[in-house]
Amino acid sequence: MSIHHRLSAVAIAAMTLSGAGLVSGSGSSAWAADDATTLTIGMTVGIDNPNIWALNSTSEWSAVTLQYDMLMKFSDEDLSASPGLAESCEHNAAYTTWTCTLREDLTWSDGTPLTSRDVAFTYRFVIDQGFSYFTSYFPKGSTFETPDDRTIVWNSPEPTRGMDLPPWVYIVPEHIWGPYIGKTNKEIKQAAVLPNVVSGPYVMTEAVPGQSWTFERNPNFWGTAPAYDRIVFRLYTNQEAMVQALKNGEIAIADGLESALLPAVEAIPNVAVQKITADSWVNLAFNFGGQDPAANPLPALKDLRVRQAIALAIDKQAIVDKAFQGAASPGESIVRPLSVYWHLDVPDDQVIPYDPDQANALLDEAGYARGEDGIRVDPQTGQPLVIRMPTSNDTPGSDIAGQLIASYLSQIGIEVKAQPVSAGKMYDLQQSGDFDAYIWYWTGDPDPNYQLSVFTSEQCGDLSDGCWRDPTYDDLVARQASTLDRDERLTLVREAQQYVYDQVPSIVLAYPNSLTAYRTDIVADLTPVPAGDGYLTPSYSYTGMVSARPAQSADPAASASGQPASGESGSDSADTAGETSSASPSGPPVWLWGIAALIVLGVVAVLVMRRRGTEDQPDTH
Amino acid sequence: MNFFLFRIMPGDPIALLARSQRLSPEALELQRVAFGLDQPLITQFGVYVRETISGNLGVSLISGLPVWELILSRMWPTLLLVGIGTILAAGIGVLAGIRGGWRRGSRFDSGSLYTSMVLYSTPEGWLGMLLLILFAGLLGWFPAGGYSSSTSSGTTDVAMHLALPVLALALGYVGQFLIVMRSSMMEVKAQPYINLARAKGLTDPDVRRRHAVPNAILPIFTLVVISVGFILGGAIVIETVFSWPGIGLLTYEAIQTLDYPVLQGVFLLSSAAVIVASLVADITYGFLDPRVDAI
Repeated sequence: MSIHHRLSAVAIAAMTLSGAGLVSGSGSSAWAADDATTLTIGMTVGIDNPNIWALNSTSEWSAVTLQYDMLMKFSDEDLSASPGLAESCEHNAAYTTWTCTLREDLTWSDGTPLTSRDVAFTYRFVIDQGFSYFTSYFPKGSTFETPDDRTIVWNSPEPTRGMDLPPWVYIVPEHIWGPYIGKTNKEIKQAAVLPNVVSGPYVMTEAVPGQSWTFERNPNFWGTAPAYDRIVFRLYTNQEAMVQALKNGEIAIADGLESALLPAVEAIPNVAVQKITADSWVNLAFNFGGQDPAANPLPALKDLRVRQAIALAIDKQAIVDKAFQGAASPGESIVRPLSVYWHLDVPDDQVIPYDPDQANALLDEAGYARGEDGIRVDPQTGQPLVIRMPTSNDTPGSDIAGQLIASYLSQIGIEVKAQPVSAGKMYDLQQSGDFDAYIWYWTGDPDPNYQLSVFTSEQCGDLSDGCWRDPTYDDLVARQASTLDRDERLTLVREAQQYVYDQVPSIVLAYPNSLTAYRTDIVADLTPVPAGDGYLTPSYSYTGMVSARPAQSADPAASASGQPASGESGSDSADTAGETSSASPSGPPVWLWGIAALIVLGVVAVLVMRRRGTEDQPDTH
Repeated sequence: MNFFLFRIMPGDPIALLARSQRLSPEALELQRVAFGLDQPLITQFGVYVRETISGNLGVSLISGLPVWELILSRMWPTLLLVGIGTILAAGIGVLAGIRGGWRRGSRFDSGSLYTSMVLYSTPEGWLGMLLLILFAGLLGWFPAGGYSSSTSSGTTDVAMHLALPVLALALGYVGQFLIVMRSSMMEVKAQPYINLARAKGLTDPDVRRRHAVPNAILPIFTLVVISVGFILGGAIVIETVFSWPGIGLLTYEAIQTLDYPVLQGVFLLSSAAVIVASLVADITYGFLDPRVDAI
């Protein structure tokens, strides 16, 4: 357990007390930094480089999403393709040509007109420079034409779903980045960019490394003008400190909270928590071997009946309750629920239930008899069923989930040696194959192709967890990748998910919620994307930041334009709405300053008196 | 050493991006090539030595920014925090050590010794968390972290942000100065020249101030100068607890992402600072205490 986690335990207990109001002095809003013009958001990860081409952390993606537009964007409803900078996109019958029409009168934040040439430049730039996050959407040989300022034509040498995905590429201004054509990516990433030139609602104007990043409202934004003049991202490397900052009113929104802090946060008055539908999922993967000649997985795990028995013996709901404090939902298929359109809810009659008795019966039937120590033995190899199971410390909840699984599997005669390791060590194990099973996480695009592809045979030694090889599954993934009709593809995608669920190369243990807490007395009208339990902060869209407004100015008419978040408030916010404090920090009370001054004066007085006393003494030197 | 130390850590900095950033194997390979991580270790070492000698610390694997630029941007907050913290700790520790060592076994001596030792033994992160929960959370007197507020960055604002981390740092380090000063005072007090001074009729405070302290403070001087060397290394735990944007926090972030060039840069800088500080301490000690030069 890291120092951080040990500290967390103490802090959580103390904060739960303070949040529940058991200790006097709420400290509320003494350091409030939010006023009618500034919205401050606490983040747990910083922005190392404000340059769009140096994207890495989640906060950097948020910053870019807040500032830039895509040609077609992820819809606020379900993340499917919807109009962004383009009003519409059409494809030809062969899906080889996509023609998009831009909105009228688009302008960059510096006043320069935004035209189809900027779009063509952006796509060409990311392909030529090989910016890996963005290039996978374009088949090799793609060309782009701009017959007029508002029309962009994408010609692909092979059929592509193109704008239906949509390509997750932010459009940048040619007049800023054009001079960088042909330069190295190192030079491009080191370019000074602030203030950025963007088309979205906010412009990053200031970056204080390791501390805060300021975004001013873009006066040339093409959409509805946001209510706040300024948004500030503040870094808190200590989650407990971020919760205290939320309680004090230093920040209006705390983004990316750990589920362990949920009880403490929910106890704070005027705070609502948005439990966001999972962006990632926690995975118990089995190793099939083949990554490396030295790979040595437990042979019994290749037996489907053993894997099914393990799945039957695991109580996913208990894992959700204990490892994630309820801030998760039990896992099923390998495409995350956030991809609303593509995600498969496994039909009830095909769900593998929690049933240890059935698991025991299955193993008995398969001939895995218990040894004298109660551990079952593989009838083929004579090996006891002992599973080495590392759990990755970059996956919240994995440690407790590992302990629970060890407990569950001991009931069916399988011993589990759960061992928390660093993410770096995890990578080494995944590459070498020196494990039997592990708990790690996966995340994916709104489009399911990436997530499905990591389970294919060809990913063995690369991204595959345990080198599961199954030609039937490979065929399903290849077919969905080449199917252009959306409905036909959906059928194949769901079939592939069901197949993985049935074959159990991995067990999706849980879909942990991302947690965002916000002060209901400071900010209102945060619109989640996707609708319902989606993100409030910029993740796939800046919609939540455009609809947000100070709580005291929020009224039903204003709210009608956006869909309010479905967060659960810690108290009745209506009682305190409008009590937003001013921006002036007050600090310790006056009486404390008085005492401090008296102490200082006293010390000075004593020193002076003593000095006088010694000076009165005759010098005997 | 500086090069190989971090490569002993398990994992591959580029591969860590795969899961969080949905990168394909081809994209990962491109990243490795871009940063030279596809080369044999010995080749990378050769490049590292050549570039370091020429003053180039490389670029961050994560942000793509020059390491020097990153370190410089974090230098001032660290100097402010660790500098003031060290001065406070040294000041309080020396004063308490002088008084405690001079009157060994007194109530003040026992009280200050036990208190400072308890604080010295307390994990500084835990101490920081307690201060944070009490003064920022429950009482709301100080902000919960960072260098300044979103809407202000004046001196008072920075001072209020600085208060808790400085307090945590100073409280944690008072003990090391106190115990050295105290034992040095006790040693000096037993010297014949102290008895001689008393025999000449000097008052107790005069003996202490004019004869004992100047001699007893010499070991403290070394300790303070070496501590100054450590300032540049930052205070990793305190800076992380209070989200203080200094070199310690930069180190913490670089460790999490296996950002080798940043780690190498920070450790090179802090090692050099400690070596220079030790050298300064050795040289200056001779001037302060002529007996050393005489040896």
